[in-house]
Amino acid sequence: MPVITYREALNQALREEMQRDSNVFLMGEDIGLFEGAYKVTAGLFAEFGEKRVRDTPIAEEEIVGLGIGSAMVGLRPVIEIMTINFSLLALDQIVNNAAKLRYMFAGGVQMPLVIRMPEGGGNQLTAQHSQSLAVWFAHVPGLLVVAPSSPADAKGLLKTSIRDNNPVIFIEHFALYNTRGELPDGELLLPIGKADVKRVGEDVTIISHSRMVQVALAAAEQLAGQGISAEVVDLRTLRPLDKETVVNSVRKTSRAVVLEEGWPTYGISAEVTAFVQDMAFDYLDAPIRRIGGAEVPMPYARNVERAAIPSDQTVIAAVKELVA
Amino acid sequence: MAFSAEEMLALYRKMLLVRRMEEKHGELLASGDIWMMGHFGTGQEAVAIGITAPLKKEDYLFPTHRGVGEFIGKGMVPKDIWAEYYGRTTGLAKGKGGLHLSDVRVGLMGLVGSLGADFAVAVGTALSSKMRGTGQVTMIYFGDGTSNQADFHPSMNLAALWQLPIVFACANNQYSELAHYRETTSTEHIAPRAAGYGVPWKIVEDGNDIQAVYAATAEAVDRARRGEGPTLVEYKTYRIAAHFTGDPGGYQPKEEIEEWKKKDPIDRFRARIIEQKVATADDLENMNREVIAEVEDAVKYAQESPWPAPEDIYQDLYA
Ligand SMILES: Cc1ncc(C[n+]2csc(CCOP(=O)(O)OP(=O)(O)O)c2C)c(N)n1
Repeated sequence: MPVITYREALNQALREEMQRDSNVFLMGEDIGLFEGAYKVTAGLFAEFGEKRVRDTPIAEEEIVGLGIGSAMVGLRPVIEIMTINFSLLALDQIVNNAAKLRYMFAGGVQMPLVIRMPEGGGNQLTAQHSQSLAVWFAHVPGLLVVAPSSPADAKGLLKTSIRDNNPVIFIEHFALYNTRGELPDGELLLPIGKADVKRVGEDVTIISHSRMVQVALAAAEQLAGQGISAEVVDLRTLRPLDKETVVNSVRKTSRAVVLEEGWPTYGISAEVTAFVQDMAFDYLDAPIRRIGGAEVPMPYARNVERAAIPSDQTVIAAVKELVA
Repeated sequence: MAFSAEEMLALYRKMLLVRRMEEKHGELLASGDIWMMGHFGTGQEAVAIGITAPLKKEDYLFPTHRGVGEFIGKGMVPKDIWAEYYGRTTGLAKGKGGLHLSDVRVGLMGLVGSLGADFAVAVGTALSSKMRGTGQVTMIYFGDGTSNQADFHPSMNLAALWQLPIVFACANNQYSELAHYRETTSTEHIAPRAAGYGVPWKIVEDGNDIQAVYAATAEAVDRARRGEGPTLVEYKTYRIAAHFTGDPGGYQPKEEIEEWKKKDPIDRFRARIIEQKVATADDLENMNREVIAEVEDAVKYAQESPWPAPEDIYQDLYA
C-alpha cells in the first residue's frame, strides 16, 4: 500500500473525479496557476486548464453563489475557500440557498456542490483565522458535513462527496495536510455517514473527528503504556452522524470521552453526548466527559494559544479520571 | 503644495522606520525568535505614509494586512507594535491580537481578519462622526484585490447617499496574493467604479512619489472634513516583497521587480531631500542609524516583557 499525505490524497481525489466526469470543475482564490494556498490543487491547472480550474477574485459570497447556480443546472463545482473563517462571508448562500433549494423545489433540482476548506488553530493566526466552525454547518438540515482525519479517508470521502447530488461541506485541517498514511490500492470510495474505529480498545471510547483524532490516537498510545485500553472512534461525517458505530463502542467500553477542537458549548461533543446517553444509558459506568477548545476567541501568544487547544495530555487526564 | 523641510524629514524618517521594522521582522522570523508571519509592504511606503500624513490623530483609519506602514503613519510607536508581535502582556492587546493590531488612542481601528469586512464598519465610524458633529474623517485603506469584495459596493453607495466624511484609499500594488490583479479584476483601474455611485475619484499614477500621494489624499481628506462626502483614490504602486514571509515568490517577473526597485519610494525621496539641500547624505545616514537603534530598543523592550499566563485568556471577554 502506498503511503501519501493528506494533501496528496485530496489532490488525487480531485484529479480522478475530474478525469472521470467533465462536469466537475474547481473554483477558488489562487487555486489555478498557484495551486492553492495549501497546494491541494497542485498540477490540476496544468492538466485541466483554466476553464475547469478557475481562479476567482476575493469574493467568497459570490464564489459560493455561482457554484450553487452552476450546480443547479448541470455542473459539479468543487469550491475551495481558503479557510473556514472566510466561509462566514458566504453563510447566506450556504445556509439559505445550498442547503434549502432542493427541498423547496421538492427535488426539482440537484445540488452537487462541494465546498472544501481547512479549519483549526495552532499557527498563531489569532482569533479571526483560527476557528473550528464545523458545527455551524452540521446544524443545518440539507447539508452533508464531512471532516476526515486520515489521507485514505480524505480521498475516499472527497470522491464520494463530488459524486453526491447534495451540497457537501468538506472540512480539512491546516495541521493535517502533511499527515501521512497508507492508501488502499484501487478505486477508493467511502460512504458519507459512516464512522470508523481507528483503534480498538476495551476500557474507554474516545470519540472525535478531524485533527483531534490524531490527538486521541496519541493519547491512546500513551494510555496503553499505563495499562488503559482506549478505543478511538473517528466520526468522519458530522452530518449525518453514524450513531450506531459510536453507540456500539460505548456499549462495549461503558465509558466515553468526546473530544473536539472547537468550542464545546452547543458543540459536536454536546450532540454526541446527547445521543450516547439516550441510546446507551444503561451501559454507562461514568458520566460522559467532554473536551473542547477554551471558550474564548483564539489568543495570539504562542504559550496561551497552546493552552487553549486540547492536547493529548488533556485527553489522558480526562480518561484517567473516568477509568480511576 | 510643497512640504516644508521639517515635514520632508519627518515623513522620510517614518518611511525609513517602516522599512527597518519590516527588515527586522524578517530577521527575527529567520532566527526563530518570533513565529508570526509578516506581510511586508516593501516598495509601498510612500502610499502608507503619504495617505496617513494628512490625517489628524483623532481621525479613524482602517489599515491593511500590509500594515506596519500605516500603523507608523498614523502614530503607533514601535515598542507597542513589537510587544504585541511578541505576544507579551505589554502589547496593547496584551498578547491577544498579534498581527491584528489596533491602537484606538491614535484612531487605528484594528485590522479585520476577513478582507473587505471593514468597508461597512468604516462607513459606520464615518456616520457616527457626522451624526455627532465631531469633524473627524474616516479612511479605509485597502488593496486592489479587496476591492472585489462584496461590501465595497454598498459601502460606496451609502457613503455617497449620506455624504459621509470618508476616504476610500486603494493601494493598487498589482498583485492580489500570488496572482496579478488582472487575473481576477475586469478593469485596469479600480477608481472609476466610484463614478457609478456619484463618488469623485482620482488615480495617483505615481504612488511611489510621496508628494503626489500626499497631495491627492489631502484634497480628499479636506473634502470629507468640509462635509462634502466621500472620495475614492487609487494609488499605483508595486509590491516588491512577496505576499507574505512564507511565500517563496517566483511569480513576479524578475525584470518587473528590478524595474520597480529603481522606483523605490525611499530612495527617490532621499534623492529629492539631498537635491533640495534639505539634508545631506550624512544627515540621512545618521537618521538611519537612529531609526535602527529605535527599532532595536523596541524589540528589546518586547523581548523583556512578560508572557501572558494561561488564565489570562479569559480576561477581556465580556460576554
Ligand atoms: C475574506 C478573505 N478572503 C481571503 C483572505 C486571504 N487573503 C489575505 S491577503 C489576500 C490578498 C489581498 O490582496 P489585496 O487586497 O490586493 O492586497 P495586497 O495583499 O496586494 O496588499 C488574501 C486573499 C482574507 N484575509 N479574507
